[in-house]
Amino acid sequence: MENLKRLFENNRSIVAEVTQADPEYFARRAGKQEPHFLLIGCADSRVPIETLTGVAPGEMFVHRNIANQALSADINVLSVLQYAVEVLDVKHVMVCGHYQCGGVKAAMGDQSYGLVDYWLAGIRDTVRRHDFELQRIASSEERFKRVVELNVLRQVYNLSRTPVVQGAWSRGRRPLLHGLVYDIHDGLLKPLVLQVDGNDKARELLETPRASIGD
Amino acid sequence: MARVSWTEGVVRRLIEAPKGVERSLRATVRAAPELASSWRHDLPASVVVFLVALPLCLGIALACGAPLFAGVISGMVGGVVVGALSGSQLMVSGPAAGLTAIVVTALASLGSYEAFLAAVVLGGVVQLALGALRAGGLGAYFPSSVIKGMLAAIGLILILKQIPHALGYDEDFEGDESFLQSNSETTFSSLVAAFEHIEPGAVVVSVLGLALYFAWDASPLKKLRLIPVPLLVVLLGVALNAALRGFAPNWTLGGKHLVELPQLNSWADATAVLVHPDFAALKQFETWRVALTLGVVASLETLLSLEATDRLDPYKRLAPPNRELAAQGVGNIVAGLLGGLPVTGVIVRSAANVDGGARTKLSAILHGVLLALAVVAIPGLLAQIPLASLAAILIYTGFKLAHPRHVLQLGRQGATQLLPFLITIGAILFTDLLVGIAIGLTAGLLFILFEHSRQPCFEVVSPPGAVLCRIRLHEHVSFLAKPTLARFLGTLANGSRLEIDATRAKHVHHDVRELIADFRETALLRKIDLRLVGLDLPPSASAH
Repeated sequence: MENLKRLFENNRSIVAEVTQADPEYFARRAGKQEPHFLLIGCADSRVPIETLTGVAPGEMFVHRNIANQALSADINVLSVLQYAVEVLDVKHVMVCGHYQCGGVKAAMGDQSYGLVDYWLAGIRDTVRRHDFELQRIASSEERFKRVVELNVLRQVYNLSRTPVVQGAWSRGRRPLLHGLVYDIHDGLLKPLVLQVDGNDKARELLETPRASIGD
Repeated sequence: MARVSWTEGVVRRLIEAPKGVERSLRATVRAAPELASSWRHDLPASVVVFLVALPLCLGIALACGAPLFAGVISGMVGGVVVGALSGSQLMVSGPAAGLTAIVVTALASLGSYEAFLAAVVLGGVVQLALGALRAGGLGAYFPSSVIKGMLAAIGLILILKQIPHALGYDEDFEGDESFLQSNSETTFSSLVAAFEHIEPGAVVVSVLGLALYFAWDASPLKKLRLIPVPLLVVLLGVALNAALRGFAPNWTLGGKHLVELPQLNSWADATAVLVHPDFAALKQFETWRVALTLGVVASLETLLSLEATDRLDPYKRLAPPNRELAAQGVGNIVAGLLGGLPVTGVIVRSAANVDGGARTKLSAILHGVLLALAVVAIPGLLAQIPLASLAAILIYTGFKLAHPRHVLQLGRQGATQLLPFLITIGAILFTDLLVGIAIGLTAGLLFILFEHSRQPCFEVVSPPGAVLCRIRLHEHVSFLAKPTLARFLGTLANGSRLEIDATRAKHVHHDVRELIADFRETALLRKIDLRLVGLDLPPSASAH
């Protein structure tokens, strides 16, 4: 209870501080939201992207799940995507992975974790598909990082194939898809792939997985 | 893609199959009659039309200030020449009341009847040209409600104008369709005058004639279809008048209450009556102006009559309008050369023709032959027919045209059908046929424009409250869509976002494109994020 109480206390003091500086701060944001960004990130508690990018409330639409996946059968992420693209008209859709991702780690091993194994099956598939490349990476730490990156690229590709994005692209060059990775060690966001705005660029995501511009 | 078109094909086949079945059923139920086997129906009908046409021909000639015989000549030409060349099976042509106003002013401006005849010939050439230019297709643009209104109005006119004749007040000529009559009375003042000058003999003839008509219709005798009722009515009228002569000499109808004809005793008389056109008049500009007016107005009246007759045709045959214009052109050339009045298709005669049971154009041709024969062979006999008998026939025809059931039928189709119908009726009754139709057509077209401009030309495909408002233009975005779209664009808030998706639009009218191009400039000023999909725009008018 101690910890929970702290949340409410913090909340009250933060609100008090903000409204003192700007009394209309919350009232202004109660109206229509017009965010420019959709972020699909990991549920991991060590990845506070909104805080680290300095976006204000109302600027970023967020969806988080284990291992930042955009699966074509997941009605949750598809609903978020459709609402963000077709109703909120966001310009940027970002998939953000992070090193030391527990979900990715689980998918790389043989251990069984129960229900979540179903959810992680896609990443297991990515690992197997890139087996040749991954086997040549000597350091297991580096191999782990590479799977995190490959997973981000895979999810950006998945997004590009959804009817929502295909439909939007058929009418123009929006939204732009981006793949990012968050380095949990130094707190920095690194771009993997930027400005995917059509099927040609989306196809390259899978054809040249080495195009990673990470580290 | 392939799967989509496959299902579409299946759906289309399912939807269209019943229509095809219906079409083939209709074809088997109502086979068009053959000329050879239908003369038994056409012959009696031609007698009816002849009986209706004869007084009309004379009356219109009188009203035009032309020789009386000229009306009969154009009646013959309308029947024989136009009837033979026309593609319509039931329309009957002849001198039309709708042209009298033009003829009267033309006679005054051209100076002589011979010069006018040259204009009639030239008018026929104009009609031939209109037919060659395929102007006949314009007839398809006459709204149905206006044509129905015109038919009902003609029915009412027949009734109103014939009541004085039925009562024995034979001052106005037969076939006058104007509200302001040639004898400076109106339809209503004429009615009032008629009730002050009742001829008891005429009332006896017309009331008994009408009674015979309605009784015959209600009785099983109607199904015989062997004896034309109008002929019976005429015979009854002649017999009644003869009887009155014996029993009540004061009530006997004579003189102006009977059909009047010029007496032709020899061939020399007949040729002496014929007048020939004076082609020297072609040097005058006025002749050409009259010819053009005649050609255009006669063509319009013909196309309207053609539309109306097609509608009355129990076999629902559609006559080729361009061939009709050519036939009318030849008819007017012949009429002009023989000294006749200009001809057009005439609805009253055509309606009488349909009512008389005609099936093919043989009836129209025979009525022309009968006109010629009658004038030469039995002028004395025809002069026995009381005008009241003809009035009874025309009142009955008028009643069928203006039957209240038509109003109820249109009322059920809504205000956009009923109002043009009523406006047409009112306009025709209080002006004349041509002006009334012009008003009716204008009203009808305005209603159509109104109806179309209310049709949505686009739909909002984004959910309500979406940050990006997306509208999808429909397949055809006409000029009429402009106000709706302009109103919608005006409602957008500053700083909002709009996507106009034209990928499904096959045709976007130039003015609508221009509207959007102009809005692109406005959007910049109003900070509206405008996105256009699949739309080529002309350069904006305000862009420099």
